[in-house]
Amino acid sequence: MFLNIDQKPKDKVAVIDDSATELTYGDLCRYADEFREVLPSRTLVFLLAENRIGSLIGYTSLLNNHVVPLIISSATERTLFDNLYATYRPEYLWLPVEKVAEYAANEPIYTAQGYALVRTGYPQAQLYDDLSLLLPTSGSTGSPKLVRHSYRNIEANAENVMNLFGITPSERALASLPMHYTMGLSVIASHLYAGATVLLCGKSLLDAGFWKMLRDREATSITGVPYSYELLAKLRFFRMDLPHLTTITQGGGKLTEELWRQIVDYCQSRGKRFIATYGQSECTARMAYLPAHLAATKIGSIGIAEPGGQLSIVNNDNIETFEGEDTGEMVYRGENVTLGYANSCDDLMLGDVNHGVMHTGDLTRRDADGCYYIIGRLKRFLKIFGLRIGLDEVENIIRTNYDTDCYCSGTDEKLIVKVTNPVVADSIPTLIEDKTHLFHQRVEVMVVDKILRNEAGKVINQ
Amino acid sequence: MTNLEKLNNIFCEMFSVNVEELQADFDREHVANWDSVHQVGLSSTIEDEFDIMLDPEDIIALTSYEGAKSVLAKYDIEL
Repeated sequence: MFLNIDQKPKDKVAVIDDSATELTYGDLCRYADEFREVLPSRTLVFLLAENRIGSLIGYTSLLNNHVVPLIISSATERTLFDNLYATYRPEYLWLPVEKVAEYAANEPIYTAQGYALVRTGYPQAQLYDDLSLLLPTSGSTGSPKLVRHSYRNIEANAENVMNLFGITPSERALASLPMHYTMGLSVIASHLYAGATVLLCGKSLLDAGFWKMLRDREATSITGVPYSYELLAKLRFFRMDLPHLTTITQGGGKLTEELWRQIVDYCQSRGKRFIATYGQSECTARMAYLPAHLAATKIGSIGIAEPGGQLSIVNNDNIETFEGEDTGEMVYRGENVTLGYANSCDDLMLGDVNHGVMHTGDLTRRDADGCYYIIGRLKRFLKIFGLRIGLDEVENIIRTNYDTDCYCSGTDEKLIVKVTNPVVADSIPTLIEDKTHLFHQRVEVMVVDKILRNEAGKVINQ
Repeated sequence: MTNLEKLNNIFCEMFSVNVEELQADFDREHVANWDSVHQVGLSSTIEDEFDIMLDPEDIIALTSYEGAKSVLAKYDIEL
């Protein structure tokens, strides 16, 4: 069965959510069987995810039964949802019961744990045999571009991550990153694969429910993006005595050096492990990690390849090197490298175009000990609050809504938008927040006379 | 500017709304973009504007306009 779920003790608790609902590994098997009865054939389902048990049983059951989910946030902005819906034409939706009326014309054919399976009226999807799961490339900018995963991708990630952290069945991982986010899903898959317990938390770090779950359920690990740790610092997390918490892990962008040191100090004084990781949705979440014993000396490093993977650098002379000091684009090889992208319904029939090799688009430096450091980015996106903000997609959103030329740039602190039409400038931050959920105060708008382009239409001098 | 005006300005700026919208039901349940980013932004701005240092439980309690008033009351700030 998917993630060997059927090989775990039947009465072992697999998942507890913040409504205190509990499911055992036996329950997960039973739901997969129920799903197979109502949905026996391979097709495409949109899974409108929330961090609740109903959402999770959709994930485990559909993957187990070789039905392909596209996992998106249940809070996806409506026009972006409609775009995905029209592009990929799912035969079914698996969504919270309370959202059925808003998204579907038909009555549910099956409900479980507050979620409902509804037919859309679209026909059965044509899918590549090894396609297992689809995730959006950007959590929020709602581009219809998806990452195509194979069955082996999901298992390889679960296995590698289990080995990387040494996850045992006694772990209770606080899974508070969203399920529609590749790293959130990776936390869930790796712990189920290990036969551990997932504490599935839909509450934000600023909600008393999060803290109640962390303490009362005696979580043994937490996983966050840099912004999570900014919030934790603000909430004086580093003064808390949490005796059951043994592992603190981070991914999804770069921590500030100050915050990194704070976490390391906290872990050292309390006997906990801090493990920083690196990954991309194109490689089923995790790719590299910094072993805990190096956290105090290799500050800001993403470390080495995860078990089962290999890292290298293609340097300025276009030579690929695997060891020794070097600088250039980082390349990853491993079984978790996904099949490729989809931009249309027809692309769901495509096979593997990556062949286990991913050119990451990240500029890196490797030190003499073989540890990697991210120093820049070749691709056009920012990561603000752990949100991946595709600059091309934001430009599209602006051009679709307003009569202006525009160009986006920025840092992982702030998105900078240049527009040529002064009349629309003031409304841009709110538009971007509505469409992408990026906080409007992180958007800076500049009015310029002209966006300069070369003959190929590429923006210059920005 | 009165303390109430200061608080109202913070909310209007943070959530891009007019002051008329700041009613008893202006809270996390009813305001679509009230996420952790807005909440922590709210707490930082309140700290700066009123020159106070909020406890973690106060930041967690900042889930409504009325809640913010209660938090300020705790720090003896009269509205």
